[in-house]
Amino acid sequence: MTGVNFVSTSAVIPASVVVPLGAAALMAGFSRFLPRRARDLIAIAVAVATTTLTLILMAASAGHPMIYWFSGWRPAAGMVIGIDYAVGPLGAGMASLAGLLASAALVYCLRYFDSARGRHHALVLIFLAASVDFCLTGDLFNLFVAFELVAVTAFALTAYNAGHPAPLQGAINFAVTNSLGGMCVLMGVGFLYARTGSLNLAQIGQALAGHHADGLIVVAFALLAGGFLVKAAVVPFHFWLPDAYGSAPIPVCVLFAGVMSELGLFAVIRVWDTVFSGLAGDPGPRMRAVLLGLGILTALVGAVMALAQIHLKRMLAFVTVSHLGIYLIGAGLLTPLGLAGASLLVIGDGLAKSALFLGVGVVQHQRASVSETKLRGAGRGLAVTGVTVALGALVLADLPPFVSAAGHGLLVDAADRAGLPWMEIVIALCVVTSSAAVLRAAGRIWLGWGASESPERDSGTEDDPGDESNPAGTEAAARGPGERERPGRRKRAPLTMVLPPLALLAIGLGLGLTSGIEEHAVSAAAAFSDRAAYVAAVIGPHGGSAAARISVPASPPVSVGGVLTDLGQVLAVLCVAAIALDRRAARLRRVLSAGIGWLRRLHSGLVGDQVTWLAAGLAVLAALGLVALR
Amino acid sequence: MSVLAYGVVAWLFLIGLYGVVTSRNLIHMVVCVSVAQSATDVLLLEIGYRAGGHAPVFVSLPAHPGPAVDAVTQALALTDVVVGATVTALLLALAVQVHKRAGTLDPDALRATKE
Amino acid sequence: MSRRARLALFAVAAAALAVTLGIGLAGLPSFGSQVSSYAKLLNVLAPRQRHVTDVVSAVTFDYRGIDTLFEEFILLGAVAGISMLLRPLSDEVRELPEDKVPDRAIPPPSPAVWLLAVLLSSLLALIGLETVTHGVLTPGGGFQAGVVLASAIYVVYLGTNYTTVERYQPDALLEASDGVGAFGFVVIGLLGLLAGDVFLTNVVGLGVTGNMIAGGTIALLNLTVGLEVAGGFAILASEFLDQTAVIRTRTKQ
Repeated sequence: MTGVNFVSTSAVIPASVVVPLGAAALMAGFSRFLPRRARDLIAIAVAVATTTLTLILMAASAGHPMIYWFSGWRPAAGMVIGIDYAVGPLGAGMASLAGLLASAALVYCLRYFDSARGRHHALVLIFLAASVDFCLTGDLFNLFVAFELVAVTAFALTAYNAGHPAPLQGAINFAVTNSLGGMCVLMGVGFLYARTGSLNLAQIGQALAGHHADGLIVVAFALLAGGFLVKAAVVPFHFWLPDAYGSAPIPVCVLFAGVMSELGLFAVIRVWDTVFSGLAGDPGPRMRAVLLGLGILTALVGAVMALAQIHLKRMLAFVTVSHLGIYLIGAGLLTPLGLAGASLLVIGDGLAKSALFLGVGVVQHQRASVSETKLRGAGRGLAVTGVTVALGALVLADLPPFVSAAGHGLLVDAADRAGLPWMEIVIALCVVTSSAAVLRAAGRIWLGWGASESPERDSGTEDDPGDESNPAGTEAAARGPGERERPGRRKRAPLTMVLPPLALLAIGLGLGLTSGIEEHAVSAAAAFSDRAAYVAAVIGPHGGSAAARISVPASPPVSVGGVLTDLGQVLAVLCVAAIALDRRAARLRRVLSAGIGWLRRLHSGLVGDQVTWLAAGLAVLAALGLVALR
Repeated sequence: MSVLAYGVVAWLFLIGLYGVVTSRNLIHMVVCVSVAQSATDVLLLEIGYRAGGHAPVFVSLPAHPGPAVDAVTQALALTDVVVGATVTALLLALAVQVHKRAGTLDPDALRATKE
Repeated sequence: MSRRARLALFAVAAAALAVTLGIGLAGLPSFGSQVSSYAKLLNVLAPRQRHVTDVVSAVTFDYRGIDTLFEEFILLGAVAGISMLLRPLSDEVRELPEDKVPDRAIPPPSPAVWLLAVLLSSLLALIGLETVTHGVLTPGGGFQAGVVLASAIYVVYLGTNYTTVERYQPDALLEASDGVGAFGFVVIGLLGLLAGDVFLTNVVGLGVTGNMIAGGTIALLNLTVGLEVAGGFAILASEFLDQTAVIRTRTKQ
């Protein structure tokens, strides 16, 4: 690869953000002049176009990264002047997932969001553009700006059902904690700029390489990681997530659960790999311990809390938290194999979680409730959705041959090679628990199993408002002419709501059956993790054309043992779900729920508590960073 | 001088956090978030400061102008101000709706997302 | 957590955070002692390469222009989000003040207040226009000017009544200016692509340093951003005012 010029002037790279941004600007400005169908279809077309562009980028950058210098400012005399996009397959793949889920959400929106008059299209498209920017950028401050843009659009979308207190409170918790996280990121950026004089990831990494981490570097890392981990909902920064995801509209939950939180983890690993991994004293193994500890804690807390929920959306929110912990375990191993496993899990689980949320959305639309106990037996007539939900739960438990099973296999192998064979058991425990919670809910709703009254007290979250029906407190039908009817027992669920989740699961199956998906993932992860190669590509001695050799570890072939383990996990899920529904196990359930009462009380939904935990978590992270980096 | 200048950053951020944690009024909380935000602005501007330097505007300069301060951090601070203003506006809109729907502005009295 | 437990935990956490921030801040170079070589380079290059005298504008709209594109869309997104949050919901209705008592006319604003509003509004509009066009020469530019222009609109609210404001500042126009301003930034960036270069390259004639029309796309971007910010903040004022003055809970008929 000597003499290869990594600088690219392909118009596809800026187009992947410019197309959704331009469309969003026109939508925001002129939505009142467009008929409703036109707005919906244009938005879907733009989202699909963006997905196509990012897929093209993923394919084109598979061999070597593509560096795009905005405004034409290339590095001069080894100093970076402008802002660049460093397009690699991992980043572009993440951006494609964002595009795919945004498209699915917008298709679902054809039957939703009646009164927002097209403003939500602009918000979703801006969210998408910001996610793409987040995944492709090579500049640390641009990463912060994209972080804030994703956040601002997300805050607004969460509170769509502004007539109910729950979405409003969820949005406030979300906004306050994530803004504070963003401020931490910015302070970290400021510290690094003061030390190294640059905002470019490659240049900062080059400036810090080989030096010992002093107090400033440790604190910069703690602030950056802490801020991003708030977005990634890692314990103890996770308290906002169930409040926000539990009350946001369904299509918005699809975007959040599938892509937004994973972006936080992406940023942590990106910043580590490009900036901090070259520090003297080999901080890798100690940082691995820190990240793994956080990941395990998050996975456990999420799984246990998910089992205790009867509010379907909150349950899925905690399932999301648990899986985020598992992704952090994979990425936190700090090896290409672990990162590849985490990436495939992100894709596979992202598709499955989105399918689950969309399935819950169908139930909510047709039966006007998201409470598992109130919906007992109400699933008759929604057979397709029932199959979707059950399948989604099993895919989350790594049902082969879906792509999440491939990811799980890589992750377990990476843990083995890192000398941590017991990690597989921890992951299995968490995955089984969270999937069993979903399957239990499916069993109760569709098959009518389980006790009619739940022994646990109803959670305080009021029943979900659904698509903007009458706000709480208004009993009389205050409908104007032409407004939608109240959702009730309808005859059939609309196809635009029933088909997207199945399509997402089908894509997961298709990806899992693609031969060589593991090799692609591992080589993408290897390219992502190689700091020296990245620095050479961006500011190499020949202005970005230095040869960069990336060593790709051999990925293991799919083994029969791996498939059997996955099937065993699925079987365990079925067993635990059955136990959860069995009347005879009621005493066991009461004992267990009493045992975790303290954990449930900690999730008070009060923003003051959540900010306190944020401050405590930052302090702990700084202390851990001190141990890991010096 | 350094201790005072940089100490302001830590003080603003922590007092903003304290305000958020102990707040009994959403409007007050929004302002406290804004105070914490200003800590980051101050940090950026202080990093870019040069003693005896003039603004990075090269017009109407005296005969021996001396060095200019950092223009990049000023651009970053500008972006931060815009971000802060938009988040404040969004939070205020949420506060308006919460007051209407939940009847209270006390964040500790909101029970809609309690576990 | 009880309030006392929360305060106790926060006290400990804040103390630890104070130490952390202290360690980080202590590692910074002494206050006012140095400026990064990146900044020094730009202070030298920008007037020469871009024919502007305000380097901050050059950094914002040229060297780091793509950041500003996303920053502008943060504002657009927030405005769209807030107008979505504050929209009249299904149990609310828009009721103009005069609808409540149709047989009484709303008294017109006092002539003194009205005159003051006109004077102040004109002054602010002038200052705003001056700021936006001189962004390449002196501190100022699109964002700052947009806020000043929006405040010219706010003053009209203060000095007159709701009906007057709604007649002369139709929401459609404000939204359109918001959207056009944001789209304009994208279009100007595309000029670079059309000229065969990369996105957001400064391909328009650069003019002479010290002139108002200089800096190429920097001047143009200042104008579009000013348009967008002014429209955005005016929409915000309109939305919040609607919540107070106009949107009422629907009463049972």
